[in-house]
Amino acid sequence: MPEEYLVAQELHKSFNEQKAVDGVSFTIYRGEIFGLLGPNGAGKTTAIRMMSTVLEPDRGDVIIGGHSVRREADAVRSQIGVCPQELALYEDLSALDNLVFFGRMAGMSGKEARAQAMARLELMGLSERAKGKVDKFSGGMKRRVNLAVGLMGHPEMLFLDEPTVGVDPQSRNNIYETIEGLRDGGMTILYTTHYMEEADRLCDRVAIMDGGKIIALDTPYELRSQIGEPERVTLEDVFLKLTGRSLRD
Amino acid sequence: MFKAILVAIHEVRIYLQDKGDLAFSLLLPVVTFALMYGAFGGEMEFHGTAHIVNQDPGGSYSVRLLEQLEEMDSVDLELLSREEADGKLERSDLLMVIYIPEDFSAKLVSGEQTQLLFRQRGNGGQEGQIVASLVRGLAERMNQEFTVLSQASSSLAGREISRERIEIATQKFLEREQEHPLVGVTEETMGSSPDLVNQFLPGVVTMFVLFAITLGAQAIVQERRLGTLERLLTTRLSVGQLFFGKFLAGISRGFLQTLILLGLSYIVLQLFTPLAFIECLVIALVFAAAASALGLIIASIARTEDQATWIAVFLTMSMVMTGGTFFEISEGSVLYTISRVSLNTYANDAFKTIIAQGGSLTDVGMELGVLAGVAVVGLTISRVLFKVMPGGR
Repeated sequence: MPEEYLVAQELHKSFNEQKAVDGVSFTIYRGEIFGLLGPNGAGKTTAIRMMSTVLEPDRGDVIIGGHSVRREADAVRSQIGVCPQELALYEDLSALDNLVFFGRMAGMSGKEARAQAMARLELMGLSERAKGKVDKFSGGMKRRVNLAVGLMGHPEMLFLDEPTVGVDPQSRNNIYETIEGLRDGGMTILYTTHYMEEADRLCDRVAIMDGGKIIALDTPYELRSQIGEPERVTLEDVFLKLTGRSLRD
Repeated sequence: MFKAILVAIHEVRIYLQDKGDLAFSLLLPVVTFALMYGAFGGEMEFHGTAHIVNQDPGGSYSVRLLEQLEEMDSVDLELLSREEADGKLERSDLLMVIYIPEDFSAKLVSGEQTQLLFRQRGNGGQEGQIVASLVRGLAERMNQEFTVLSQASSSLAGREISRERIEIATQKFLEREQEHPLVGVTEETMGSSPDLVNQFLPGVVTMFVLFAITLGAQAIVQERRLGTLERLLTTRLSVGQLFFGKFLAGISRGFLQTLILLGLSYIVLQLFTPLAFIECLVIALVFAAAASALGLIIASIARTEDQATWIAVFLTMSMVMTGGTFFEISEGSVLYTISRVSLNTYANDAFKTIIAQGGSLTDVGMELGVLAGVAVVGLTISRVLFKVMPGGR
């Protein structure tokens, strides 16, 4: 029986009477990559912001590693790493300085943060550019630094919100390999993306959100099986069937 | 506390990385200082022009009066015709003209009373009043000479001593008296010299610290724009630590500029004693803390960099205008009451007490208390505002 690591319980969040997340519940098991898919405005980012302690839920709770995001936010923060959708870096500083700073904020000593920063940059294929200013980096390099920052500290769980947006195939492949390596190392990962083949390749299980609710949750194989022969249909076919073909804002 | 210091160091590092911003903010005090020194540095004492209409050009006493005026280092002499002077007074080109009447010397020779005429627009202006006072002093001296001469002449009447000899002896006696007066005056300056640089320096210093409000106001908005605010909020850094770190960074930036300005004033102009210099730095530090806290209040409510900048600029300019930065505000006026809510009033008063009046920190306890209070209350309010504003925590 796999160990439950993240349990979302009836999460609700509204902005100006507009329901962004409407009663979302799911469980992520330790060491799995859990995909959270959905069209724009489905509520994925709001859900991640609640799970990562940035936003307080209107109702419901999330238990991460046995700690409630409502009551034990500090304990939750010591267990998570976040790689937000937008680049969240100090562009005037070097890649190394960015990583060391966030490492220190995660509670590491200067020496430890520096050593781990170099290791993370090595992992992302950026060790030679460690001292380069981030504003001189390409989009793909910035994405990799963004991911490396999320890995600083010793997170047991990583939130990856569309980490491959605007990235060239080489950088994307590097990111995939890194994520798979992290999963193999026992890290629990919540992953959102608009690229269905990416979710199909990486995710052990996938939840599809629309209108603030979870409308499907299973393994990619099982989801494909629901609409046809799993070898012949794609996750994108499932996604479009469940969420419709009308354009979203 | 340790994380807050790390945030402050990080913030200052980013500030130091931006060469353009850095050059601007550090060179600005140097340029301001150079301008201030160029404009006021050499002018330690009064210097004015005496505008004279001499209607007794051939008279010995009018010539003597003008010679004595010319001997004064602080006064330049400009002779005008009566028509010129009247026209300039009419047009307010001049505020004060001194007229020597045509019978000035003749009346004095015959022992009669005569009058110098001071014509002025309004009160004659500050320069006119000082020049008039100097001329009154010269007229007083001439009066004393005549009194002594007349008493000597009447005492020696009947003896066979010529009036010329009496005049020479009297003159020598008066000159000796002037060189060694019975009642002398010694000037002693305490702490600093009361010149124009001293008068303006407090205003310039407080203005620079107030500029730090604008930088502080950007603190949270910039993090939000970069996306790093959310990321920081998911680390073990508490919001309190984040705010305290930003507060310390704001103090460092505000203090750095002030340090340059005060340092240059100390080294180049030697305006203060070493103790006064240190006291000024203490005031600058507390004032920078108050300004940093005000910046954070703006940072807590502003949603965009434009909002933060404009609120900060409005606040800064209002305080500069109402705080008596560059002009005296008379006690009891409406502006005086308004100035009491302006932060730089207290900093300005404190700096003036140390720089221009030679006071010490014990004399500015109330001002330091107000500034420190604003720093503590401002920091607390900014934290509360961040919590209650949408998206805050």
